[in-house]
Amino acid sequence: MAKFEPVLLANIDVPNSFTCAVYESRGGYQALRKAVGPMQPADVTEVVKTSGLRGRGGAGFPTGLKWTFLPKGHPGPIYMCINADESEPGTFNNRILMELDPHQVIEGVILSCYATRATTAYIYLRYEYPLCYERLQLAIDECYAAGYLGKNILGTDFALDIYLHRGAAAYICGEETGLIESLEGKRAWPRIKPPFPAVEGVFHKPTVVNNIETACCVTHIIDRGADWFKSIGVPADPNNPRDAGSYGPKLYCLSGHVNKPGCYEAPLGITLRQLIDEYGGGVWKGRRAKAAIPGGISMGLFTEAEFDTPLDFAGPGRVGCLGLGTAAVVVLDETVSIVDFLHNSCRFFAHESCGQCTPCREGTAWSLRMLNRIKAGKGRLKDLDLLLEIGDSIGIIPGTTICGLADGAAWPIKNAIRKFRSEFEEYIRSTNPAGYAVVDAVPALPVLAHH
Amino acid sequence: MGIVLVNGVEVEVADDERLNGIQAAARAGVEIPRYCWHPGLSVVASCRMCLVETGTRNAETGAISMMPKLVPACQTPAKAGTVFVTESETVKKARAMVEEDLLIDHPIDCPICDKAGECYLQDYHFEHGQKERRADIRPFTSRRRDLGPTVTLFVDRCVMCSRCVRFGREVAGTSELLVINRGSDEEIDVLPGFPLENKLSGNVVDLCPVGALGDKDFLYQQRVWFMKRHKQVCTHCATGCSIWTEENQDHVYRVRPRENPHVNQWWMCDIGRYGFHHVHDAARLVGAERRDGDQYAAIEFSEAIADLGPRFDAQAKQGRLAAVLSPFLTVEEAFLLAHWIRSRDADALMAVGPVPVEGEDERFKSGFTIRAERCPNRRGIEAIVRHPRGELASWEDVHSEAEAGRLSGVWITGGYPKPWVDDAAAAKLAGVPLVVVQDLFASPLWEIATYRLPGAAFAEREGSYVNVDHRLQAAEWAVRPPAGARVEGSVYWQLLGLPGMYKSRRVLDDLAATIGYFAPAAALVPETGVQLDASAAEASTAPLLASGS
Amino acid sequence: MATAERILTDEMVAAIKAYFPRYPTRQAVTLPALHIVNDRLRYVPLQAVVEIAELLELHPAEVQDTLSFYGFFKQDSPHGNTRAWVCRSIACALRGGEETLEYLCEKARVEPGQTTADGRLTLEFAECLGACDFAPCMLAGKTLHKDLTREKCDDFLRSLE
Repeated sequence: MAKFEPVLLANIDVPNSFTCAVYESRGGYQALRKAVGPMQPADVTEVVKTSGLRGRGGAGFPTGLKWTFLPKGHPGPIYMCINADESEPGTFNNRILMELDPHQVIEGVILSCYATRATTAYIYLRYEYPLCYERLQLAIDECYAAGYLGKNILGTDFALDIYLHRGAAAYICGEETGLIESLEGKRAWPRIKPPFPAVEGVFHKPTVVNNIETACCVTHIIDRGADWFKSIGVPADPNNPRDAGSYGPKLYCLSGHVNKPGCYEAPLGITLRQLIDEYGGGVWKGRRAKAAIPGGISMGLFTEAEFDTPLDFAGPGRVGCLGLGTAAVVVLDETVSIVDFLHNSCRFFAHESCGQCTPCREGTAWSLRMLNRIKAGKGRLKDLDLLLEIGDSIGIIPGTTICGLADGAAWPIKNAIRKFRSEFEEYIRSTNPAGYAVVDAVPALPVLAHH
Repeated sequence: MGIVLVNGVEVEVADDERLNGIQAAARAGVEIPRYCWHPGLSVVASCRMCLVETGTRNAETGAISMMPKLVPACQTPAKAGTVFVTESETVKKARAMVEEDLLIDHPIDCPICDKAGECYLQDYHFEHGQKERRADIRPFTSRRRDLGPTVTLFVDRCVMCSRCVRFGREVAGTSELLVINRGSDEEIDVLPGFPLENKLSGNVVDLCPVGALGDKDFLYQQRVWFMKRHKQVCTHCATGCSIWTEENQDHVYRVRPRENPHVNQWWMCDIGRYGFHHVHDAARLVGAERRDGDQYAAIEFSEAIADLGPRFDAQAKQGRLAAVLSPFLTVEEAFLLAHWIRSRDADALMAVGPVPVEGEDERFKSGFTIRAERCPNRRGIEAIVRHPRGELASWEDVHSEAEAGRLSGVWITGGYPKPWVDDAAAAKLAGVPLVVVQDLFASPLWEIATYRLPGAAFAEREGSYVNVDHRLQAAEWAVRPPAGARVEGSVYWQLLGLPGMYKSRRVLDDLAATIGYFAPAAALVPETGVQLDASAAEASTAPLLASGS
Repeated sequence: MATAERILTDEMVAAIKAYFPRYPTRQAVTLPALHIVNDRLRYVPLQAVVEIAELLELHPAEVQDTLSFYGFFKQDSPHGNTRAWVCRSIACALRGGEETLEYLCEKARVEPGQTTADGRLTLEFAECLGACDFAPCMLAGKTLHKDLTREKCDDFLRSLE
């Protein structure tokens, strides 16, 4: 398969790619000039809608459609929140974009704000990306100097301010309304919906929350056109009116047991096996793969036999995973214990659960305690049933929680145990020969801190 | 008007009502369990106990389409056509899951926890919970953490409903309570140096659905299943919060707010909440006495009652009678006493007792207000005093008349929880030949009384009070007075020679027919009271009888 | 009551106030204010919480509530000159992240979350640092240490001030 000519990653190997001068020398801010002034905001939205762009932050919601949820004729202010809290394990494409091509990001943000009539944009940036902070702030300063930000942008009455807002190491701040609550200065407990952010978001005003990579796509869609974007990726299934297709280039993160971990740009729809073999140099150390995370740990696990599944918005769901997520692939080789994998996952979600709603708060803690006990050699087969029950019952999909963190916690449990049950059973039987068949509740282990 | 379906039962919802699923279900007689939702606080839908199935019924076809996922009933509006299913297998499983989740880390404290008997966690476990424990067994007892002068926290019993935190931020506006940490490590706490210390602090204990928040005043005093509760009205200020007075064997253990959308919503202040201890104060006066020279002889109440008619009649011939009607009396009691005094002296001086005022009105964020006027019934008593001549004399007027030597007999009612009369005031009345004092505690006035008649505290009275907004509320009696004290109403009932037991409702019938201001109370007074017309309060009901005509 | 000695310097107050025009509410300046104080003092003691609350016209409990959610700001004593976060999420764990943390803890003689006796280093675990292409990795101050090995760990420890 021919390597895709990078669009999103076109600039990252160029020296000083993060400066305005280099960005412009390579065609930067052409899209801005095409839109601001010559086009009406609604037209920009229409182009983005037509392009079929779906959000790159994990939920895959059609971006242009999301923009149309803003109330028409609202007196404002309208806010744009850019989700740069990238914390999904395995994911680092936003980091690369912000470090090495921040102007691509900023141009996309300005275009998005123009389209949605937002007058202030906050980039919610995770604390752990200090270089991104530096580079973004530099880019923003350069934009003010160049007249791309501030008042009367490109001589129109469009005005925009962009501010960086630093997080403090909490995964849930990457959740749309968790981000909003954190931005407002409160604990990041996601909000119940309705009302939806488009109607009542940050500071009770209409708000759009978009991902960094999504913003970059907007830049190129305006620059090259919706048709161009649609020519890449996987078209919608004509027989399925609910299928919104998987259009455009995608940044795939690849890490774990491969020879060349890294961020690779390809049309949406390459398979996991293609990503590993054609981009990632294959599984490391001459080993075979056992499993892989397809889109950040929240999405669950592919078995090796499922590696030929396309990584588009529809593919992972066909093999029982939650979805494409952040398209961050992490490969586990044949020596990895799935029990260790699941323990790592449960520990992550127990640590990051915001604690607001009962099923997630207690369910993630309970799963971790069970995995701790299993790893300590005191597991029971019954624990697997309990874990599956937790996995099947918590989340916004069954409706039992406020946000999707619980679904993210649930899917690794469900996939790991259902797809690798025999490995779990073998582990439990061999490490706890005396007690694996006990069905009554057993005494808790001495309280272990989550850490 | 719209129709909402709850488990197939039709429930009417008016067009201007904003009900959620929990409230609509309550109308159908169905209780949807919940921890975090409370009608007086914002909706957070975080406990997830109220999950139900919901859908819509097509108005034309009647076809019902249900949503595929569960929703919290607390955040689902009950509009025309909304369908709720609260007892399906899916709903039951979800409830059992939430209940089990909350019990996983809950300390085994029931035997030592105040909340037993009125605990949501206990009740819902029996009704909705799993049959046996499946999570690892971890017997432990809760840590305890002081939050302030009135409230203590049993940290590990908390189910993170956040009601207490929301109360502090939304109703009191004082925001002392916070949540610390994240996830299953979350706990309630206060900042060192910023304790939970506001006059509405006790409400968070009512709000707590489990035994996490403890009321220091009530802690370990009584098991709730031994207490009976009675509908009363708080007498500590002119707001007149509706309350429950909770007692066992004539001892009051706890006072809690009673829901009243017209007066106090769901709240009461700490002054009223913890202001019942005087009812059982050892210093309370007991034993009727009659002055005999410099001494007092103990007498039976019946003897005093037999004495007083003839004695007041005799005094009426010597000069003017007077009655001081305390703003702590019920309107029925004041009406009876006024009637009795005036029947002996049509010209009797009727006065309202001193009205205690402390500081300024204190308004909280939600609008709840503690009034500076620290008595329950000034307006009701004034209306009775003004009838029929429109005159309203004060405590000071009684002093002037007494000092001028024009008073020959005075009946003074007290019933104040705090000291209310000083030596100077008592001295001014010392010259009146016949002084009857009904009161709770000794005072300089007690020392000059001719007849000492120990009276009732609020918990012992039945009758009505009129609050700052001219709302009349009726109270039942909760406990019997101690031996040697008699409720004022029953003393007047006997004085008037009325048959049978004192029943305040019969007096209110009379009162409503006699004084226009009280007319709305002619029908049975609802639990939340009845609104009187403020403009009728000062209207004279009869032309003034000038002394000359 | 928190001590009367002010902790926020004029410079910090000015820095915090500079954020006011960015947001329509003062409460939104909470995280920026916490970071301003933390960047300079290496912790946010209770007295600072009270002063931040005054500046932002909030109740101190509201600021503390937000602060404690993140598990990020120390309050009892400052963190070390270098605060190093070692990632323990899946991609790093697959390439030795847990062993790296263990090794560093052993060499520095602290548990995760603790500061060395000489105050030079605070070691913490982190969840995914977003540098999975360089697993196992560590963020120390503003520097991302990539592809850690025992040798690189030793070099790092030697380089501490």
